[in-house]
Amino acid sequence: MSIKRIMGGALVASLLVLAACAGQKGPATTAMTAAESALATIKDDAAKYLPEELKGTEGTLASLKNSLEKGDYKAVLAGAPALMSNLDSLKTQVGAKLEEAKAATAEWAGYATDLPKMVEAIQSRVTTLSSSKKLPKGLDAAAVDTAKSGLASMQSTWADASAAFTGGNAIDAVAKAKAVKAKGEEVLKLLGMSAG
Amino acid sequence: MSEQEKTPAKDNPYAQFHVVKKGETLSKIAEEHYGDKMLYPKIFNANRDVLADPDKIKPGQKLLIP
Repeated sequence: MSIKRIMGGALVASLLVLAACAGQKGPATTAMTAAESALATIKDDAAKYLPEELKGTEGTLASLKNSLEKGDYKAVLAGAPALMSNLDSLKTQVGAKLEEAKAATAEWAGYATDLPKMVEAIQSRVTTLSSSKKLPKGLDAAAVDTAKSGLASMQSTWADASAAFTGGNAIDAVAKAKAVKAKGEEVLKLLGMSAG
Repeated sequence: MSEQEKTPAKDNPYAQFHVVKKGETLSKIAEEHYGDKMLYPKIFNANRDVLADPDKIKPGQKLLIP
């Protein structure tokens, strides 16, 4: 085989590879555009409710975009199905979180009405007991101190819950409100007060 | 929610009440709930809508215990 024929064969092979690559560029670019578009529709909600999962998906997308820019279309097309599946899963999880947030927003209204009243009643009793020279039967100074710190914890957690709700995170707000309610019930019992 | 003391309204579901029994006085009620009979004015002030005189309470009256 002459050198001329060998070089000619190599050239043909190279051209075939280039042609194949050129044929993959379109689908690879389309896949990346679709992935970016799918991510854009859920990004804000995912950032709020599933930041870690979003970070992982964005990392995969960035890696494939890098492959696209380098012309490694084969890698893009190989990784695209997993990325799209990941995005579908993230979309489903975001949808579930949005439903949860909707339910939490409705639940919050009850806590927003109830818990300030609970705190007010406990605050009133703790203040009175703190000014009392003696304590009623069944209550000692240590219990009043525990009630005071419980009240402080309720006020602090309630402030956090309100901030979470104002910040648009009803799920976190309700979780904190539940903690306030549980602590309040504990303090009411400690002080011998009836619970609503 | 402020740190200031605020008497709970009577419609507060966590407000505490005491139903006056025969022979009770505001001092006695204050002693029962607070341990200190000298704190009776707190109960009187919280119930001015139903009490005109701290020495005149009637059996059956439902008093708010702030």
